[in-house]
Amino acid sequence: MLKMHKVRKSFRTDTIETHALRDFNLEVKEGEFIAVTGPSGSGKTTFLNIAGLLEAHSGGQYLLDGDDVSGLNDRQRSRLRNEKIGFIFQGFNLIPDLNLFDNIDVPLRYRGFKASERRRRIDKVLQQVGLAARAKYLPSQLSGGQQQRIAIARALAGEPRFLLADEPTGNLDSLMARQVMELLELVNDWGTTIVMVTHDPDLARRAERNIQIVDGQVADLEYHANPAALSA
Amino acid sequence: MLELRPILSALWRHKVSALLIALQLGLTLAVISNAAVIVQERIQQVTRPTGVAVADIVTAHIAPVAKDYDLLQAFRLDLAMIRALPEVVAATVSRAPLTGSGSSSGVQAEPNREVGATPAAIFMVDEHFIDALGMQLVAGRTFAAEEIGEASETTSWRSNTVIITQQLADKFFANTQALGKAIYFSGEDNPMEVVGIVARNLGPWPNSTRAGNAIFLPILMDTQKHDFIVRAAPGQRDGLVKLLEEKLAERDSERVITVKTLEEQKNRYYAGDNTLITMLSGVVGLLTFIVALGIIGLTVFWVAQRQKQIGVRRALGANRSTICRYFLLENLMIATTGISFGVAAAQIFNHFLVSAFNQPPLPPATVASCALALVLISLVAALIPSLRAANISPATVTRSL
Ligand SMILES: Nc1ncnc2c1ncn2[C@@H]1O[C@H](COP(=O)(O)OP(=O)(O)O)[C@@H](O)[C@H]1O
Ligand SMILES: [Mg+2]
Repeated sequence: MLKMHKVRKSFRTDTIETHALRDFNLEVKEGEFIAVTGPSGSGKTTFLNIAGLLEAHSGGQYLLDGDDVSGLNDRQRSRLRNEKIGFIFQGFNLIPDLNLFDNIDVPLRYRGFKASERRRRIDKVLQQVGLAARAKYLPSQLSGGQQQRIAIARALAGEPRFLLADEPTGNLDSLMARQVMELLELVNDWGTTIVMVTHDPDLARRAERNIQIVDGQVADLEYHANPAALSA
Repeated sequence: MLELRPILSALWRHKVSALLIALQLGLTLAVISNAAVIVQERIQQVTRPTGVAVADIVTAHIAPVAKDYDLLQAFRLDLAMIRALPEVVAATVSRAPLTGSGSSSGVQAEPNREVGATPAAIFMVDEHFIDALGMQLVAGRTFAAEEIGEASETTSWRSNTVIITQQLADKFFANTQALGKAIYFSGEDNPMEVVGIVARNLGPWPNSTRAGNAIFLPILMDTQKHDFIVRAAPGQRDGLVKLLEEKLAERDSERVITVKTLEEQKNRYYAGDNTLITMLSGVVGLLTFIVALGIIGLTVFWVAQRQKQIGVRRALGANRSTICRYFLLENLMIATTGISFGVAAAQIFNHFLVSAFNQPPLPPATVASCALALVLISLVAALIPSLRAANISPATVTRSL
């Protein structure tokens, strides 16, 4: 599904050069649920940005579905993001001027679906996240947990194979965090590959596999054969 | 995949600023389209054919010093000297047209009639006047040398023949042959036979309603109001100004001589119109510039305000041109709203100008072209910030909170 080999990312300002990722190696298999932890500033977001084609890497090789993405132009990268990847952010990032229906509609329009197909998909994901009755609400009329569920619905509507989440529960209280986590687990059960950055060790433990990023590199790998047993 | 409806609903949440800028565009359209009509009309007025060779004509005015000065004799001697100059095509002595001063009188097609006279400019000329003014004779003949009578401001004079403009001929004799018919000064019985028709002459007052009605009489008039009207050979005009001053002084140094080009005098006559044209064009330009600045400002503001949202849209699959198009479309919607309002406002404003200030009515084509120009300008104005929006990195979405 995703394979990074010796990926590097450096940020250059006038005075300093930051190496956010160095010799970063990782392989994610189809259907996995991976939790990424690590200290602040270690490069977790940078990794997600590169994985999600939000940013280009400075060196090394990144294969998405077996294809090297380094030579793609903006249009091709945008299409891949739209078709293959769903994003969930700590800050929900719903578009405040659009109601929930229209928020979920945004990536579907970019995809070029017909109106009837978009409506079908929006209704379906609204059902899945349990907010079908609020389609015409504005984001500001929802609680944080509800907003995050809409963000998940928006990420799912395009039926991506790959879901990237950057601290999706970071702004939520523990009850809402657990609801969001359960939703993600459900999505993973349907077959979507998930990579989730989190600070919460309890949530991380529920993932199939944990990786820790320290100083721009994968530090150690930890496998959980049975996440349900561990969280008990 | 135009996303008109979502743009519209997002716009609706910012309706005050959107409507304000639309209102600004609309009012701008109302003002500039009306200004454009006035400018257009004035330009047409100023540049319409005069019937005379304005660019080649020089006039020379002579103010004699002595009381008993023999002006008619001076005219003859001066004209002979002027006509002998190689730079000169033809010369006459009369009052120059297009200058804002001249004389006019009521003219009739029947004798002894007072009512319904047609006002016409009167030019007293010698047999060289058609060439000197560079006019075109369209029918009949010019005056013969022996036809030219003499008169002074204090003696009464009459003429048996007259040359008139086509416009006057059409007015008096409609579709019938004007040549050989007689016209009369209002209330008088002396017939003046039309012996020639010239194509056009706007007369002394091109902006008046009687412009173009002119009659030419074969009289050498003893008056200081008359100037030499000298037509220069092509390209010789400016040199002739200096030359005439010298040669006229040389022939009789006791006189004050003023030589001017006819163009200069015509420009002075139209000075008000030209000022109006310049000022209104300036206002049009300035208003357009201000409205463009407003659009740039608002779009820059909206792009800055929606940086995060742009990042979100990029993450969700928008490419650079999708983002650019979004802001251009949004702007186009505002512009269209403003312009539709402006078209109506322009009509109302014009209605007022027509009824209160006797200004020209607004043709639909003018409104349409002004509207189109404003839409294009607003798109160009929005393009700069839209392109910047397109360059906002998708990573904005994870990098800033
Ligand atoms: N746009 C950028 N310009 C310069 N440095 C950056 C930029 N983005 C991230 N960094 C640096 O890269 C390193 C990794 O950042 P990040 O991936 O956000 O860490 P994490 O998400 O693990 O907290 C940090 O040192 C950060 O300061
Ligand atoms: Mg981070």
